[in-house]
Amino acid sequence: METEMLYALRDPLGVPSHPLMFLVLGVLTWAMHIVAVHVLLGSSALAIYGSLSSQSHWRRLAAAMVNTAKVAISVAIVFGVAPLLFVQVIYDPFWYTSNVLSAWWVIGFIIILIIGAVALFAFYVMNKSMAEVEKTRCPGSMILAIALFLVVGFIMHALAVQMLHPEKWMEWYAPGGIIDPSGRSIHEFNLWRFGFFIALSAPMIGLWLYAYRRYLMARENENAEYLDFLKRLAASLGSIGGVISLVFFIAWMLTLPENIASFATSIWPVLTILALAAAVAFPMLIARKLDTGLWGYAPFAVGIIAGLVVAIMREAVRWQTLFGVHGYNPLDYKVHMDWYSTLLFIITLVVMGGAVLSYLVTVAWKAGQTKGMYTPSPAVNRLGNFAIATVAIWILQYFGFGLWVAYM
Amino acid sequence: MDMLGLYPTWYEPGIGSGWVIGIIATLHVLFSHTAVGAAILFAFLAYIGYRDDRPELIDFIKKYGLFLLVFSYILGSITGPGIWYSTTVGSPNGISALIHNFVWKWATEWVFFVIEVVAVYMLVYLVGKVSQQTHLKIAVIFGLTSYATMLAIVGILSFMMWPGHEKWFTEGGYLYGFYGPNTFAQLAIRTAFMFTMTAVVGGIVAAGLKDKEFKRWLLRRLAVIGIISTIIGMAMYPWYLSTLPEVANVLMANRLPDYFTPAVLFVLAAIMAYFIVTLMSPRVVTASVAGIATMAILVLGLWPGETVRETVRKPWIAGQYLYSNQVIGRDVPGMDVKSEIPLLEEKGFTRAHVFWPENQREINPHNAIHVGQSLTLTACANCHSLSETGMRPLVNYFGGISDIERIKTYLVGAIATGNTMYMPKVPLKDDEAEAMALYIASLNDDEVVARYVNEKTRQAAASEENTRLSAQ
Ligand code: HEC
Ligand code: HEM
Repeated sequence: METEMLYALRDPLGVPSHPLMFLVLGVLTWAMHIVAVHVLLGSSALAIYGSLSSQSHWRRLAAAMVNTAKVAISVAIVFGVAPLLFVQVIYDPFWYTSNVLSAWWVIGFIIILIIGAVALFAFYVMNKSMAEVEKTRCPGSMILAIALFLVVGFIMHALAVQMLHPEKWMEWYAPGGIIDPSGRSIHEFNLWRFGFFIALSAPMIGLWLYAYRRYLMARENENAEYLDFLKRLAASLGSIGGVISLVFFIAWMLTLPENIASFATSIWPVLTILALAAAVAFPMLIARKLDTGLWGYAPFAVGIIAGLVVAIMREAVRWQTLFGVHGYNPLDYKVHMDWYSTLLFIITLVVMGGAVLSYLVTVAWKAGQTKGMYTPSPAVNRLGNFAIATVAIWILQYFGFGLWVAYM
Repeated sequence: MDMLGLYPTWYEPGIGSGWVIGIIATLHVLFSHTAVGAAILFAFLAYIGYRDDRPELIDFIKKYGLFLLVFSYILGSITGPGIWYSTTVGSPNGISALIHNFVWKWATEWVFFVIEVVAVYMLVYLVGKVSQQTHLKIAVIFGLTSYATMLAIVGILSFMMWPGHEKWFTEGGYLYGFYGPNTFAQLAIRTAFMFTMTAVVGGIVAAGLKDKEFKRWLLRRLAVIGIISTIIGMAMYPWYLSTLPEVANVLMANRLPDYFTPAVLFVLAAIMAYFIVTLMSPRVVTASVAGIATMAILVLGLWPGETVRETVRKPWIAGQYLYSNQVIGRDVPGMDVKSEIPLLEEKGFTRAHVFWPENQREINPHNAIHVGQSLTLTACANCHSLSETGMRPLVNYFGGISDIERIKTYLVGAIATGNTMYMPKVPLKDDEAEAMALYIASLNDDEVVARYVNEKTRQAAASEENTRLSAQ
């Protein structure tokens, strides 16, 4: 596909702000997506492993991890929707083509994810008292859930990789010169790349376990043996999982398509490996401090930063392919600056989102740390009122601007 | 090089892509409305529970809240992007138009979505763990943000039919695209029916209540809410119609199936009957009755709305400038968008389409059937199935004829000129029209292609013979 054709596919409406905003937001939210996916896959794996064990620590962990997985799937979805939005703003020629050429898989993605989520919930509902009893009901549902999540991830992977091969699109769409509109095939994938994104679940859930452990430590009389068990498990998930991820990463770099093979020797792989190594080593580096203050949460925070580095590196691969090889520059998208909607988003995110989420998170946090009923301080209550007011004001501005535009 | 920015076409011969998209959309409405309905109800139960000090209600929220809220919430949030995904593959330029107009609105909605997800878990898990006042605050936040997501989406939905304001065409911009009288009429109707949904879904919740007395009390109230909101929703329908452009009313008068009005009345009557029965004897409502009623009412209730929407926006798929077959059919100076019709008239699909097999850029008797297929896929398959099943199968619309000339005459006379109200203008070069006619004829008659190739070969040989003779 020639560069001009790629440009012809762009939406003539243009974009309502500088394209860089969409690029940055896409990378940031995708980083959150993949970290949530890691927590989902990691916690699901620990849950099934633990639930098949008869050791009490493992069973307790399994019960906690099912709860984690249940929330993580929501977070993964929420943070999946955002890059889904942004990717089609500046990469529409690539994203839409890739999707249409595998249309049935795109539809399958939804159905498979629904079945996976239902299976996860079924397992949760059937095993509410897993920590107390020896028997696990229907472990197959959890295994099914994990398998389906992997398929879902694989479909995402194929879509993300297919978009990087404009030179092959026409052959995929019309093999032998005759159009095949069925959208039944997956056309391109790289199992090393996919394996890398999946394998990262192991170190990431390790980092998550440190945070879980820290959370438990805040309670009185927490079982010290269990805490110790968690720490050892977290450390080995970090180191073993880290090595496996590294292997996949190097294999991916070695199997990059020929036209961007030079990426493997650029600065990006080095930065990625450093970031991941730092995240895995971090709990060891802070050593004793881990059990003091809020340090117990720090390893996971470092993990998120490593996830961000991975996301930036992944974007660099895309940039080098689409701009470097195919001459498509997402940043020269025609801009039709629209101030109202741009500012509305920023203010909603910062002011309203900031107020409401800080209120909710404060309450959730304090409630988790309080035995019995939590009654907020007047300051927190005021924050709550302010949060509600921001939402109310948002609704008022909606009608204010709307009625003015519609009827004036 | 001027090219036509069209994507590949996805075509599903079995049930048709239209149906796939429809099914996912229906599921989404089912899940998301259940979630909203249940959420409103749970906030209400929490309120009563705390006010009258009835721990069993709070208990109930804990027990069933998880199922109804989180479950329908998760499924709702999967099928939401599901609609995106399915429209993406069915109509990439259509979804692109919405995205590029409204990306910030969607991003704003996403902020609400994040809040909802956090709030829904807190609402369920913090029952009894935070002070009553705090729990109510969470419920209020959840309720307001849920409603705000509807506010954010409704203008986008109405843009699919019309840009909010006429001025959008000349001045462009988000506000003119989003807001218009139709936006508010739609919002009002949707809000009314949201309460209808709450009342129906509430039946599932109420059916699980142990306290007989309270159950009856709640079901009666729900029935009243349901009856009132349905009446209000119906009463606003004329207002909604009055906000539609003239042409929409003409389309509705002419193109809706005859059974449409009686069918709608029947659906409304069924909904009312359901509420009246619950009002008279709440005992009838068990969880399964309520569940089945919910599904039936949502699906049936959805159908007339969708039919109207589909009918009145034909042949456009978004903003009255983008045709269903993905071609831009009119200028939008406000956004510097140019109609693609002149380009098509000049070059035809075969030369202008980005995704066109190179061996089909020039038409000859041997590839004509393939070019015809490509053309029909591109220009018609969005609305007409090419097999015998699915949506408006093309075979049925040509009365079984396989006369290439006659079909071609229709294509050139009616479709290439844009002479029907509900079909896009599809400019076709003479050889393109012939190729398309050949393909359409072949849907009826397996042998037509062989005859055509033979004839063309004979003609070519004859004319070669002629040239040779005249040269001698
Ligand atoms: C926007 C969607 C749409 C597209 C695209 C479309 N049609 Fe139609 N077509 C319709 C509708 C709606 C009808 C009327 C259906 C009915 O009356 O049941 C129709 C009817 C027809 C009829 C019946 C005669 C008539 O005039 O009512 C023919 C023939 C036909 N279409 C051929 C085509 C061909 C060939 C193409 C591609 C070049 C095409 N259509 C593209 C929507 C479309
Ligand atoms: C269990 C569920 C999921 C898993 C395991 C998963 C996993 C992944 C993985 C591994 C990738 C990277 C692929 C690659 O680059 O090779 C990815 C990308 C992506 N995911 Fe997910 N995902 C899940 C759910 C979702 C959901 C529900 C959505 C959206 C609603 C979503 C949206 C995306 C998007 C848009 C990308 C690509 C972004 C881009 O290319 O810019 N994911 N996902």
